[in-house]
Amino acid sequence: MAYDFFGIPVSEINVWLIWILPFAAAMIIPAVGKFSKLSTGRVAVAFAAMSAISAATLFPMALEAHEIHHQIMWIDAIGLKAGVLADPLSIIMANVVGWISFLIICYSTGYMKGDKDITRFWFWMMFFIGSMQLIILSDNLLQVFFGWEGVGLASYALISFWYHDKKKDHVGQEGRSALGIMEYFSPTHAGMKAFIMTKVGDVMMLSGMLLLFMFAGTFGFRELVADTAWAVEMSAQGLLVPAFILLFGGAMGKSAQFPLNEWLLEAMTGPTAVSALIHAATMVKAGVFLVARIGPIVFALAAAGILADQFFEIIAWVGAITALLLATQGMVNPEIKKVLAYSTGSQIGYMMMALGVAGLSQQYVDGYTAGFFHLISHAMFKASLFMAAGSLLHAVGSRFMTDMGGLKKQMKKTYAFMWAAGLGLMGAPFITTGFWSKDAIFAAVYESDSSWGLPLFLIAVLTAVITAFYTTRMIGMVFFGKNSKHIEKMESEGHHIHEAPKSMWIPYGILAVLTIGIGLIGLSAEEGIHHLFGEYLEHSFGIHVSHYGGEDSVLPGFLSGLNPVALGASLVAFATGFGLGYIFYIRRWVDPVKFVNSNIFFYSMHKLFLNRWYLNAFVYWGFVVAPLWMARGIWRYFERTAIDTGMNIGFEKAVGWSARVVQGTQTGVSQSYLYIFGAGLLFIVLILLL
Amino acid sequence: MMIELTSTPIIIMVILGIAGMIIPVINVVRKERGSSTFYGLIAFGALLLSLGYVIYRFYTDSVADAAIFSSDVLVDDGFGSFFAIAMLIVSIMVVAGSFNYMRKRSNPAIYFSLILLSSIGMVLIAFSTDLVMLFVAWELMSIPTYILAGYNKKDPSSNEAAIKYFLFGALSSGIIIYGISLAYGITGSTNIGDVIYGFSNLSPDMLPLGLLAIGMFIAGFGFKMGLVPFHMWLPDTYEGAPTPITALLAAGTKKAGFAAALRVVIMGAAALNLDWTLALGVIAIMTMTIGNVAAIMQKNLTRMLAYSSIGHAGYILIGISLAPFSGLGLQASLFHILNHAVMKGAAFIAVAGIVTTLAVTHIDKIKGLGRKMPITAFGLVISLLALAGVPPLNGFWSKLMLFGSAIDATSVVWWAPWLAIAGVLNSALSLAYYGWIIRKMYFEGETEKRVKEPASIVGVMIFSVIFMVTIGVYPEPIIQFVEMITPSISTAMP
Repeated sequence: MAYDFFGIPVSEINVWLIWILPFAAAMIIPAVGKFSKLSTGRVAVAFAAMSAISAATLFPMALEAHEIHHQIMWIDAIGLKAGVLADPLSIIMANVVGWISFLIICYSTGYMKGDKDITRFWFWMMFFIGSMQLIILSDNLLQVFFGWEGVGLASYALISFWYHDKKKDHVGQEGRSALGIMEYFSPTHAGMKAFIMTKVGDVMMLSGMLLLFMFAGTFGFRELVADTAWAVEMSAQGLLVPAFILLFGGAMGKSAQFPLNEWLLEAMTGPTAVSALIHAATMVKAGVFLVARIGPIVFALAAAGILADQFFEIIAWVGAITALLLATQGMVNPEIKKVLAYSTGSQIGYMMMALGVAGLSQQYVDGYTAGFFHLISHAMFKASLFMAAGSLLHAVGSRFMTDMGGLKKQMKKTYAFMWAAGLGLMGAPFITTGFWSKDAIFAAVYESDSSWGLPLFLIAVLTAVITAFYTTRMIGMVFFGKNSKHIEKMESEGHHIHEAPKSMWIPYGILAVLTIGIGLIGLSAEEGIHHLFGEYLEHSFGIHVSHYGGEDSVLPGFLSGLNPVALGASLVAFATGFGLGYIFYIRRWVDPVKFVNSNIFFYSMHKLFLNRWYLNAFVYWGFVVAPLWMARGIWRYFERTAIDTGMNIGFEKAVGWSARVVQGTQTGVSQSYLYIFGAGLLFIVLILLL
Repeated sequence: MMIELTSTPIIIMVILGIAGMIIPVINVVRKERGSSTFYGLIAFGALLLSLGYVIYRFYTDSVADAAIFSSDVLVDDGFGSFFAIAMLIVSIMVVAGSFNYMRKRSNPAIYFSLILLSSIGMVLIAFSTDLVMLFVAWELMSIPTYILAGYNKKDPSSNEAAIKYFLFGALSSGIIIYGISLAYGITGSTNIGDVIYGFSNLSPDMLPLGLLAIGMFIAGFGFKMGLVPFHMWLPDTYEGAPTPITALLAAGTKKAGFAAALRVVIMGAAALNLDWTLALGVIAIMTMTIGNVAAIMQKNLTRMLAYSSIGHAGYILIGISLAPFSGLGLQASLFHILNHAVMKGAAFIAVAGIVTTLAVTHIDKIKGLGRKMPITAFGLVISLLALAGVPPLNGFWSKLMLFGSAIDATSVVWWAPWLAIAGVLNSALSLAYYGWIIRKMYFEGETEKRVKEPASIVGVMIFSVIFMVTIGVYPEPIIQFVEMITPSISTAMP
């Protein structure tokens, strides 16, 4: 059944609406805010819901591996088209983003209650969501780039949302520094840092895009697949891999992958709802999505005999390094939101690793599915964890876990939900989505035919151990043990710790329950996605899928189809990490501080992790302090002399002088005007005759 | 053979003519002094109706393809429709912008009536295919504007504006007539097609006379277009005339000058030889440079915009001078003509709003305008940025096409890239004074209180901002429109 609306089928209009609705809300909200600040939240909730519902209506189509591709002419002169592309990949992603954003928006109505700049908050939130949906549903790179920049702008505005730079809105410990660089950041500084660091990636992405356009003459994803003559030409000139790596640079910036990872930690200065949005739905996932968009295009070129293995190797290694690097730092940080931030970067690293490994193996679909499935499960539990952390911050009034402790009795619901979502992050066996998706990644890495398979696999497993450990640590520090001095002081002053309001705990409750609920049927869910993507890749890119795995399995019935090594590694990793965490932070048999100080090796490792491997300090020395020195030198020895005195004054004088000459002819006397007219006529006639 | 009665020029002439006649009659018949808004609304309605008719005719494919020639005196073609649309939009903006301006002034009926009559002239110029018809339309357009320029009769500068304008108008009319008589003398016809046919088959000893006629046309029409060195009257007149009328002159009659030049000069000159393109190229560079350089030091908003419109005539001329070499040239010029009509119209109407409300035009007096009159100031900013060619506004695309056509023609004529370079440098230079206005309005001045903005001017601002941004983001339909109505020089040659 196809209903028409001005000649366009309703389902196509729906695709456009998914990203237009949030933008429309962003336009309406400032006007609504003039009359009633309270209503702005309602408008946001309503539009977020409508956008999510629009996405949901497309779901049946995704299950049939069907797609909508609708284009309009944009700028004919250079052959640009605007369009939307709703294929299984973008429909699933649009639903994940749409619904999680909707829940976060609901949560924000409680979290941001009473903020006097609430209108600005809603405007940017909706703008953020709209930009992300634009990235997801665009059918060409240029349009993606518009959304990409919109996301960057919105993240800048939201990270620095509390631009008064009050002390409580900073991140980091006051006074701490590493290699002479302060590790204490104000919201405005953090926003700027995020904006500039992601911009580095954006510039790379833009140059990659233009390079592609130069050869292919199109930005369209489908057009790039349809005719691969451009790839032959590019690879002959050795530009194919560089162009795609430049594109991946954009993803590295947005997704906070090594070496562009440092902005993500400071992004915690924004309101917690913003952090949830950045980490679960709208920002860092954009990079993964971009890789998922362009990955199959590159892989499909193999059929034409063009290999781009380096591209996938780089993705896999960047992902692996990031996963380990950030997980280690998550073990030692005292701030709850920062722990979650490190964990996001690390989990995104997993996704990248899977998408990279996919391209190195025969079974592209395995890694592809694993990475994307992990994206979905991560989106759910990380959004839940962030929102729960926001409740804790609200209740305790401090971002440090050392100021919490023993909260399990006071905040029962948050406690329960945080366990559920936390188990997802840890990858608790068989009942959480996180387990299945992580296991799929392990299997994909282990089964890949690449020579890098083993080292990548070991890094992945080690990271999983660490992940389970820091998650247990976080829950242990917050909910177990005795109340901290901070809380006792609050209680004695009459501030009682209480559970968050309904508008806040319901959204993260839903996601926590989903983490477990989908986890229970996780294996079949994964197989469903696997099957769907198998058909999608075959249908849209001609990537052939030969088997659906696991006929010769040694495992018992319900686990058939899993790789036994990967499964074993998952179980061991979870048990080790959780066990260590249990000993140190839940039972508290061993005091972690004493333990670390007992041994020079642990002590120096702890210091290295706490100082972020000194990466942040390097970034600041290399890209902030040193250029500033240079800039000062140039200013003092070149600009003030050559440009200021020479050029500027000279140019100004010249323009002023010539303007006066022209004005001098404008005497206001009609006779002279007529004389010039006559002279002009003579001049023209002379030119024509001579 | 007479032209059909339902053709666009005839119907517009009838609609606007009746409205233009009836307004003064009502004024005489009614006993109490009529309010200006009433007459304004009649004029507004008539113009809107005409615009609707042009668009209706165009979209029902009732008009001929872009034709240069016709055996009639008028032709109902796409080229004329394009100019009619551009000029009617300007007239509508001017009429709407005048509602508040005329409220406390005398004789509103005559004022609106004259605008309508002048609009008839403008529209007819675009449709003329006969030199005599063209000249009649030219005068029909010009004479009402002489009166309108001097409309504030107690204001000496308005009087001076009218006198200077009239002096130059009379001179250039004489020159045009001289050109027509030369053309008639050589070819024995006043039909533009016949004249050009005659030109292309001219015996060599008559060639200088043909060129002389073309020179006369360039000078005569160049006066309206504000080409250097025929621009001297322009800043004085624009400054002295009532500001809405300045908008009409800068955005409307100026474009009529281009319409006439395109009908006559390009084709006629192409028929003789192609050396004239260099002459136009030189004039283009001179015009844009002198306009922009002079604008930089101006302290008066109207005068600054007047010089800026001289500069823009130079940009438009780039495309015209390259018309025989690059298919893009003429399209780009037409696109910029439409854009400039709206951008400059909006800018002058914004200034008219400032004049109506605050009675100032000096640049130091508009400090803090962003807070005092936010909508007017915003409209002015958008139109200034569009004039400077900042993306994503409409001015960017037409400038891109103009400079692109110059690059495009590089392989044919050696001097073409210099036009692009001059254009880009001038655009950069122009940002200096546009930016100055914006800085005064938004970054200087104490906290001013908001004042009430004239409703009709707010309406014009909203329309033009929407127009400029929409075309800027999605220029495709207009570009296609322009492609459709641009006559192809090579195929149009007799």
